[in-house]
Amino acid sequence: MSVKIEASHDGIPHNKVMVIGAVISLVSLYIAILGTTLGVDYLAFFGGIAAIGALIWGNSTIKKLCSYGIGTGVPSAGMLAFGSGVIALLFASTLSGISIWIVPVAALILGLVVGLFLGWISNSVLNMKIPVMTRSLAELAAVGSLALMGLGAVATGFVGFMDIATFDFLGVTVYNASYLGAGIIAVSFMLGAIALQHPFNACLGPGEKQDRTNMLAIECGFLSMIVMAVISFAFVSLIAAWISLIVAVIGWGVSYVKYVALSKRDAASWLDAKPFSDSEE
Amino acid sequence: MSAIAAKPGANAGAFQPVPSVIAIVLAIILVVVAYFLGSAGILAGGAMLVLQTLCLIILGAALIAFGVHFVPVGGAPAAMGQAPGIATGVAMLATGAGLAGLFGGAWAAELGLGVALASGAIGGALMMAITCLMVNISYVFGMGIPAASGKVLKDPITGDLQAAYKSQGTEGHGLPFISYVGGVIGGLFGGLGGTLIYIELLNFYNVGLPALGFVGAEGINMLAVGLAGIFAIGMFLVIAVLSAYNITGTIEGPHDPKFKRFPRAIVAAILASAVCGLVAMLVVALF
Repeated sequence: MSVKIEASHDGIPHNKVMVIGAVISLVSLYIAILGTTLGVDYLAFFGGIAAIGALIWGNSTIKKLCSYGIGTGVPSAGMLAFGSGVIALLFASTLSGISIWIVPVAALILGLVVGLFLGWISNSVLNMKIPVMTRSLAELAAVGSLALMGLGAVATGFVGFMDIATFDFLGVTVYNASYLGAGIIAVSFMLGAIALQHPFNACLGPGEKQDRTNMLAIECGFLSMIVMAVISFAFVSLIAAWISLIVAVIGWGVSYVKYVALSKRDAASWLDAKPFSDSEE
Repeated sequence: MSAIAAKPGANAGAFQPVPSVIAIVLAIILVVVAYFLGSAGILAGGAMLVLQTLCLIILGAALIAFGVHFVPVGGAPAAMGQAPGIATGVAMLATGAGLAGLFGGAWAAELGLGVALASGAIGGALMMAITCLMVNISYVFGMGIPAASGKVLKDPITGDLQAAYKSQGTEGHGLPFISYVGGVIGGLFGGLGGTLIYIELLNFYNVGLPALGFVGAEGINMLAVGLAGIFAIGMFLVIAVLSAYNITGTIEGPHDPKFKRFPRAIVAAILASAVCGLVAMLVVALF
């Protein structure tokens, strides 16, 4: 049951990727929070960078976990990560009543705690007997909560519970048009979960290379960020939304071109099948 | 039986007594913690409401975990017609059936608990019935294969012989009648459990959010709907994926030997939902 198949030997070790991803994510979230405390919202796009940092980390974790053959497919890991992550995230965001600065670290720690429970359950009660299971599920829950917080910061510019639960409409505070009340968190839930599970699911196999998988993770992150940037037109100022959208589109374009180049590098051969055949030739 | 004769991984389906007892004790401790948080006034609504909410969340999660074991999940082999079941993973199937039920129940939430639970269960079951029907249509008329189970010789309900229709080298294919019935029952339990979690959280937030300083009854209800909805989806996915780990990805339905593993999944769901439910309730805690 727990026969390990090495996904890829090359590249950066998992612990290093984890630290890099977590640091990128936390620093970007703090820059986004710094923007809101200064009263400007054009730093909201750093939430997208935070989500991408978390996705790179989660992608490496999924690679480690799924090399054991968990039997349910890679997508289930992404769904579990965000299912537990959203619970940790929303509790962490309520701690903004104490101080806004503890919210990202609280999301990380709460995600790890909830994930540790789930990892222990699957390893001991469900008898999975996979050595990295407990650690991986703990990491995935933390990734889910950080990525969701980042996507939420892109859409609304805020991470605190009161700010994402209320919406000022022509000077009147309403709840049903807010990030939570209007259910936009469900959109970011699915966007994040798909961006987390897709890269390794698409790249796995004997020819899997770490840099190509990571580039696809970055590309998926920017793709999710585009949608959140479009949604952010309803919540943040016009200039902030345009900045988010332009950063997301440029980031997606660059990472997509790089990903295609890496795919061509790793392919045995490739044929440029044009969408329309030239009838003149 | 000697140790050599025992196949490696043969006890993969065995019930784990010690971790299960620890899990149940941990869940009880969490429920007691919730009770004291309620009686101390940190969680709004009083101790009894907190206790009722968390206990019914745990009951809903146990129903989901039980229901997942009925659903014929085929995975990738089923997509190639080499194993019976619906050709996708538990995460997708449970999301489809559970969320269809949850949305059905959420629409009927105003009509009372009984109507909401019934419409949630019927929503999930209807979703699975339609899915199973279309899966069989595409198997039989699209791929040209009959429905046959590889795990049993006779269909337990209809008594039809299975082995004669099973292709060589496969574990069966298509959706036999017992798998179809299992899928509908699984959708019923999944929709019921998901709706129960949603309704309990909705009632709890409707009490808890005004205590946090939110004003305006109608707006608060919308906010509570959003919060309870996303938490119910998150918890549903967690329980469904844990149950999928229990059956290691694929199952044929209630006649599959793996079905006997369901007590483990229920224990897992009890602890997982106690943890997730308590954290979800702490969202409206007064610090």
